[in-house]
Amino acid sequence: MGEIIRVGLMLMLVAVIAAVALGYVNSVTSPIIAEQKEQAKLAAMIDVAGSLGAGNLVFDTLSVPELANPYAGVDETLAVVAVTDSTGSELGYLFVAYGKGYSSTVQTLIAVNTSGTVTGNTVLYQQETPGLGANVSNPAKFLYQFDDRNASTLVLKKDGGGAEGLDAITGSTITSRAVTCSVKAGLDALSDAGVIPVEGGVI
Amino acid sequence: MSLAQNFSRGIVKDNPIFKQVLGMCPFLAVTTSVENALGMGAAATFVLVFSNFLVSLFRKVIPSKVRIPSYIVIIATFVTLVDLLMNAYLPALHQSLGIFIPLIVVNCIILGRAEGFANKNKVLPSVLDGIGMGLGFTLAMVVMATFREILGNGSWLGFNLLGESYQNQPLLIAILAPGAFIIMAFILGFFNIMEKRKRGGVK
Repeated sequence: MGEIIRVGLMLMLVAVIAAVALGYVNSVTSPIIAEQKEQAKLAAMIDVAGSLGAGNLVFDTLSVPELANPYAGVDETLAVVAVTDSTGSELGYLFVAYGKGYSSTVQTLIAVNTSGTVTGNTVLYQQETPGLGANVSNPAKFLYQFDDRNASTLVLKKDGGGAEGLDAITGSTITSRAVTCSVKAGLDALSDAGVIPVEGGVI
Repeated sequence: MSLAQNFSRGIVKDNPIFKQVLGMCPFLAVTTSVENALGMGAAATFVLVFSNFLVSLFRKVIPSKVRIPSYIVIIATFVTLVDLLMNAYLPALHQSLGIFIPLIVVNCIILGRAEGFANKNKVLPSVLDGIGMGLGFTLAMVVMATFREILGNGSWLGFNLLGESYQNQPLLIAILAPGAFIIMAFILGFFNIMEKRKRGGVK
C-alpha cells in the first residue's frame, strides 16, 4: 500500500512539474504567437490586395446586414474587408474562405474586385498531405487559375466545368474541390447580399 | 562499449528504421519529398537528443514501475515547450519544421531509446546515442524519400531531374500511401539479403 502511494505521488510530481512548465511557457508565448499570426495575416492581406490596385490601400471592415455566412462551422461571421484607395473609391473586397480538405481546413485569402472577379489569392493555412494536397500552397500548381474568374466559372473540370474548368492538383481532387467550393460559396454569399454583382453583371 | 560506438551504432548497424523497424509512421507518411524527410529527420534528432538527456538525467529518481508514463509525460512536455518557444521566437524555423513537431511525440524511436538505452546509461553516452540514432533515422528517411520523390515527382530536393514531360505524368503511386509500402518492402528486402549474404546464407 505504501509502495503504491509512493509511486503514485512520484508520477503526480512529474505531471505537476510538466503542467506548471507548460502553463507558464504557454502564458508567455501565446500573446507573441497571436501577434505573429496577426502580422502574417496583415502581410498576406497587403500582398493579395496589391492585385486590386496600387498605391496606399485602406482596409476597412465591411458590415452588410444581410450577408450570410457560408462557413458557419468554422468562423462566427464572414469577415469581409473592403479595400479602398487613398481617394476613397472602393476597389474590391478581401475575405477568407474556409474549405474542409482532406486532412485540414484550408484557409484561402481571396481578393475580389467590385465587379465580382477574383484578382488575387493566397493560402493562409493548410495541413494537407505533403507532396500532394500541400501543393495547394504553391500558386503555380493550382491557385493561379483562380485569377479573372467569377463565381460561375469557379468549377473543376472533373465537376462538370468542361474545357473551361479548373485543373485539379494531380492526386488531390479533394483539396482542390474544397478550395474551389469554399471560394465559390464566399462569392455567392457576397453576391446574394448585393455586395458584388451576380455573374459579372452590374448591381 | 566505447563512446564512438554509442554514436555510430545508430547510423548503420542498429539503424532505427532498417534494423530496429521502429518509427514506421513518420517513415511512411513524411517521406513524400526529400525536403520533408530532412525536416522530419532534423526535428526528430533534436527531440531524441534532449529526451535521452532528460531521461538519463532522471533515471535514478523515477521509480521503475511508472517509468513509461513518466517518460511519455517528459517527452510530450518537452516537445510541446519546443513547439511553443519556436513558434514565438523562431517563426521562420517553425514555418518549415512546425508541422513535424507534433508528429514526433508519437514517434516510437524516442520512447524506444528512452526505454532501451537512456534509462540504463549515463548522460554522455545517452546523448551520443540520441545523435547517432537521429542521424540514422534521417539517413533512412532521405533514402526512402529519394526513391519516392524521383519516381513520384521526377525531382530530388525540389530540383527537377527527369524533365517537364515526366513531371506532368509521373509514377504517382510512389508518393501515395501504397507506394510507401511497396518501396519500403524493397528496401527492407535489400537489407535482409545483405544481412544473409554477410552470414553466408544466400548463394
